[in-house]
Amino acid sequence: MSDVTQPTEQPTPRNGTALTITEKILARAGGLGEVRPGQNHPFRPDYMVAYDFPGYTDLMFKQMHDDFGITEVDDPERYLVFIDHMLSNGDQREEEVHDVTRRWGEFYGITVHEGRGIGHQVAAELGYALPGKFLIHFDGHISGLGAFGALGWGVRRDLLEAWVSGRIFLDVPASTRFHLTGSFAPGVDNRDLIHEIISRVGADGCAHQVMEFTGPGAENMSLGRRQGLCGMAMFTGAVSAIFNPDDAALEYARRVARAEFEPLTSDPGAAYTATHEIDLDALRPRVVLPGSARAANTLGVDEAAGTPITRAFIGSCASGRIEDIRAAAEVLRGRRVAPGVQLNVVPTSQLIHRQAEEEGLLDVLREAGANVAISSCDFCFGYARPLQPDEKCISTGVLNISGRMGSTGADIYMGSAYTVAASAVSGRITDPREVVE
Amino acid sequence: MEPASVLPDVLRGRVAWIFGDDFDVDLIVGVENIKYYDPDKLRAVCMKAFDPEFVDRVQPGDVVVGGRNFGYGHPHYPPLVALRNLGISAVLAESFSPGFWRGETYNGMPLVAVPGIATAVRRFDAVEVDWRRAVVRLPDGTELTGDPPSERVVKVLESGGSLNLLLREHGRRRTPAEG
Repeated sequence: MSDVTQPTEQPTPRNGTALTITEKILARAGGLGEVRPGQNHPFRPDYMVAYDFPGYTDLMFKQMHDDFGITEVDDPERYLVFIDHMLSNGDQREEEVHDVTRRWGEFYGITVHEGRGIGHQVAAELGYALPGKFLIHFDGHISGLGAFGALGWGVRRDLLEAWVSGRIFLDVPASTRFHLTGSFAPGVDNRDLIHEIISRVGADGCAHQVMEFTGPGAENMSLGRRQGLCGMAMFTGAVSAIFNPDDAALEYARRVARAEFEPLTSDPGAAYTATHEIDLDALRPRVVLPGSARAANTLGVDEAAGTPITRAFIGSCASGRIEDIRAAAEVLRGRRVAPGVQLNVVPTSQLIHRQAEEEGLLDVLREAGANVAISSCDFCFGYARPLQPDEKCISTGVLNISGRMGSTGADIYMGSAYTVAASAVSGRITDPREVVE
Repeated sequence: MEPASVLPDVLRGRVAWIFGDDFDVDLIVGVENIKYYDPDKLRAVCMKAFDPEFVDRVQPGDVVVGGRNFGYGHPHYPPLVALRNLGISAVLAESFSPGFWRGETYNGMPLVAVPGIATAVRRFDAVEVDWRRAVVRLPDGTELTGDPPSERVVKVLESGGSLNLLLREHGRRRTPAEG
């Protein structure tokens, strides 16, 4: 398993005043000249992000107003709420949940973004995820915004601390560097890379740290692939993941920016807990067995191949981007989803949906028998078309604990969009390299 | 003047259970029950998969012990609510998954990362936990030491959770302190 990465494992000590991009972003957010890993300090997020969900936001809205007595906010543009969960039934319950959110937004003058897609993607499209910015969310998949050189950190209910005080106490994290060379071979992508990393460093290999991706392999990677990669950071124990902004990231940021921004990058000689060298050319497809993404569950696709499936899913905040839909279309063009298999494809945002439509990709998917659904989080957490007992699903969703996508009696395997699409065609977990040129 | 700590300086209890590495806390109540908060429901399902008699054997003040990366996955809150309802006073582990650590620290549960703990104790061992110093004293008198919590986390735990601390610091302010 170690043909792909060559860890130096040795900590790289700090040279002089050199800082990582993460340290620089936090120093700025903390109003400090510099910060040190382990330092605890109240940091001021540029944006405080949430999606509405019963038991979370409705409670926090009430606490902010009733318990803290806050009746106005000076800087409503720093508060950001997405409606991206619970959109699939169109029933009274959904209306009630979202109405609470809409009324909260109106009360404080806070924008509630609705009907645009999954917030972790839409935050980028709307120009919040700018290089050098610091964003928090109660949900850890906000780390995906690291693709743009922003630091996105999931703080769970501590989001309330920032809502009511404007700041949040955090420990400055150390960084582990992943130095990438080469580029993905056909049928292999960022999803295989994150699972390769987990199998290499373990499910706590980057615990309480930030994963920093560097090197020519990082620059070769498209922004969507970077987002998918960074969005899975929590499964190595990391608090976030980040790329240093390059021309591609800066060009995107300048196009969508809703605020001024000042990019930051790591200095040569910054300190890293470890550096792992990864040759993307040598990477092979990975499949994760039901339960969790931990190392022991992560196999080469050949080791899981042949397992019959009834369901396949391409979507979530860690997939469903234009690259993933192109991958699915590449596999499905001129082929059919196997009888007895349901393939659901959910573009991550409405913009991506539109682009995929314009590129003709969604026609390819539909002609192959796939169901293309509106952009939401609903398949990934078992709200839309929940799995039935004894079903087996292969998924690009973020989590595969039993019950995550429906019945606790169903099994969820995880893999890349290539692997999911190839498996949907054969009705069994399949190595996508058998069908991708 | 700072209000008195809701936690005693030293927690004393028995090791009620020892979990393995990468433990997903949702399994404490079973994944099908992770959305329930009703105390009777949580008591009825708590730890059933590990020891059907657990809820009768546990005593107020007991602790649970974990391996590396305790709380891995997408931790939900009800499993620890269930343990807290039974009187579990702290979680001691080799290390904690960051998301779990934040979520339960917010809720005021002392989480003490102590390398060596998972193999140093047996079920029902009596331990003493000096949570501010991250020191765990074993029955034979040996002490295991981890990294002490930050000053801020000490305040959170002394307050019985972040919400209590934040209310004291920022309650009834009309607008957030830092625009």
